[in-house]
Amino acid sequence: MSIPGPDSLSAYLGVAAVLFSAGVLAMATRRNAIGVLLGLELMLNAAALQFAAYGRFRADGLDPQGQTAAVFVIVVAAAEAAVALALLFAVYRTSKDVDLEQTRELRS
Amino acid sequence: MIENLLFWTCCLVTVTGAIGAATMRNLFHAALMLGLCLAGVAGLYLFLEASYLACIQVIVYIGGILVLVLFATLFSSDIKGAVQRTPLWLRLSGLVGAGLAALVAGRLAQIAIAHAANLDRTRSQPGQLPDVIDGTRAIGDLLVGPWLVPFLVAAMLLTAALVGAVAIVTRYRRKP
Repeated sequence: MSIPGPDSLSAYLGVAAVLFSAGVLAMATRRNAIGVLLGLELMLNAAALQFAAYGRFRADGLDPQGQTAAVFVIVVAAAEAAVALALLFAVYRTSKDVDLEQTRELRS
Repeated sequence: MIENLLFWTCCLVTVTGAIGAATMRNLFHAALMLGLCLAGVAGLYLFLEASYLACIQVIVYIGGILVLVLFATLFSSDIKGAVQRTPLWLRLSGLVGAGLAALVAGRLAQIAIAHAANLDRTRSQPGQLPDVIDGTRAIGDLLVGPWLVPFLVAAMLLTAALVGAVAIVTRYRRKP
């Protein structure tokens, strides 16, 4: 059995799987809202990587639709980061911390 | 051989960064590890012949989202009393990051050299874009062709997110 190289789909899928698992782990274990946001970014990255990988390894060669889908994943990640950080700011204003265990409300 | 070496370096950096971002105790360090992971993914995109995605990854993720997250760590009380002087592993990871940047630059140069002949040939014909840089041109064709509606929806989503973020922040501004 040979070592998979850059021309094997399984290597990319393995890396994406590790990325996604690390993201789930971060979302589940972090008590801090910023840690959860970090995990979310990891998961979105895994999704974009898989789109690009599957688009590259089509039977009839490189399919740019995979890359286009990955671009949209990145757009969603950017929008999500902006809104999430605004929410973090609001939580910080009301409770002086971004600990998700302590946060009860968003009303000042 | 050198291709395999570069590829596995990118994979290793990505996986290390992801696991570090998920498990690091200090949030600031976790965000830095996320940056390492994002850089590794950018390298993987280059191997997938997606140079446009690699550029976007560096500009949007490392230049935009990662910097936002690094700023956001200031909101957290976990960061208080964080390291005063740079620990050894942070310096080492800085070295690794610099090395990775060199590897990515080398890979880009490799692609450029491989396509140099084509580029020279197409440059002599004005008005015709060189079609040698992976699928970048195909992405443009798709975005203003069959994917036009999703493209416009994404534009509206970004506008709405921006307006929403500003609205949330001003609503919770401290009363004077």
